[in-house]
Amino acid sequence: MSRVILACTGLDKAEGSVAREVAIRLAEETGAGIVCPVVLNRTPARYKRVLAENRLIVVDGCATQCAGKLAAAAGARPAQKVLVSEAVKRSGRILEPGLRLGPDALELARTIVDEIRAAETAASGETQGAGPTSAEVEFESPLDFTVVVHDKYEFRIPVTGYFFNANDVWAQVGGGRARVGISDYMQQRLTDITFVGPPAIGTTVQQFDDVGTIESTKATFEIVSPVSGTVVRANPAVADAPESINEDPYGAWIVELELAAWDEDRALLVDGPAYAVDVQRKAAED
Amino acid sequence: MSDITFMGVPRPKIPWAPTIDYEKCDFCMECDDFCPHRVFERRDGEVGLVVANPDNCVVFCRACAKTCGPDALSFPEKPEIVALIKRLRSEEDESHSEDGRE
Repeated sequence: MSRVILACTGLDKAEGSVAREVAIRLAEETGAGIVCPVVLNRTPARYKRVLAENRLIVVDGCATQCAGKLAAAAGARPAQKVLVSEAVKRSGRILEPGLRLGPDALELARTIVDEIRAAETAASGETQGAGPTSAEVEFESPLDFTVVVHDKYEFRIPVTGYFFNANDVWAQVGGGRARVGISDYMQQRLTDITFVGPPAIGTTVQQFDDVGTIESTKATFEIVSPVSGTVVRANPAVADAPESINEDPYGAWIVELELAAWDEDRALLVDGPAYAVDVQRKAAED
Repeated sequence: MSDITFMGVPRPKIPWAPTIDYEKCDFCMECDDFCPHRVFERRDGEVGLVVANPDNCVVFCRACAKTCGPDALSFPEKPEIVALIKRLRSEEDESHSEDGRE
């Protein structure tokens, strides 16, 4: 499948100029098509087929996320999303004042293009791990569930093998690794999940840092990591089909991490039966 | 709901909530539209938005800041909050040593 880029071309701030530069470079280097946000806003029909038939990369300048909102309004589902303002923060750089691209902004655009291409390679499933050192760890599907019933809702919670934080994110641990996903309770609260944005492979997180974002038709959810460690894999199946989290929340893991301090992390998590008590309370408070 | 807890700690003891930088905020209300927990409230007058219900804010969630174009929302440092929660939990454990919950 070919790719198209929908980028902020905004003149509101420097990040818009960077987003525009990223789009041009990606188009030049990969042959991707460009969707002009201004035209898309004015004449959505022009891009209807292009958006339906290609892998969509959305590059937003700032958190207003105009490009992402235009994509959503057009009914398009992005395969990848990038936010320049976050990349600026991650890089520790301060962009030059004004809208023209200085050396720092150009360097940042280069980095973002490389990250997009690396994430694409990872999502293709060929080299989704951290390389040859990334050994496979077996994780078993849960067998027994506790079911919390509230009104017409039923929330399933694995009795063993899963640990939860208070932000409704689980960790399944084995072989020095943890897989991370969200609970049945949270997927039902979010309703139809439309996008999963995992962090880059190699990202190091502390317990309770974000390990990505989930977007649904109703809300945006920050995945608060239950563990500390380094992201070694993102689940390509979930990237391709975000709705699999709704269908199988305890099988549809989002990222896998190499654990850094599991014993310490564990002390601040609860097991399945304790989480069931929390879910009962949360459901009553909703 | 004064007895709401987070990780076993009374929620009001955890100072996790957004701070609005009024030098940057343009009162676009994206954050208020986004947040389902009614952390923000709109006001008439020059300051059109306030953090009215900080204890409604989900501890460790910073999703509203990701909707903020002018980058006007900030949160406490997570490691400091984690350290505070750990300390408060150990104090709770000491004062409720018969509480069976882990």
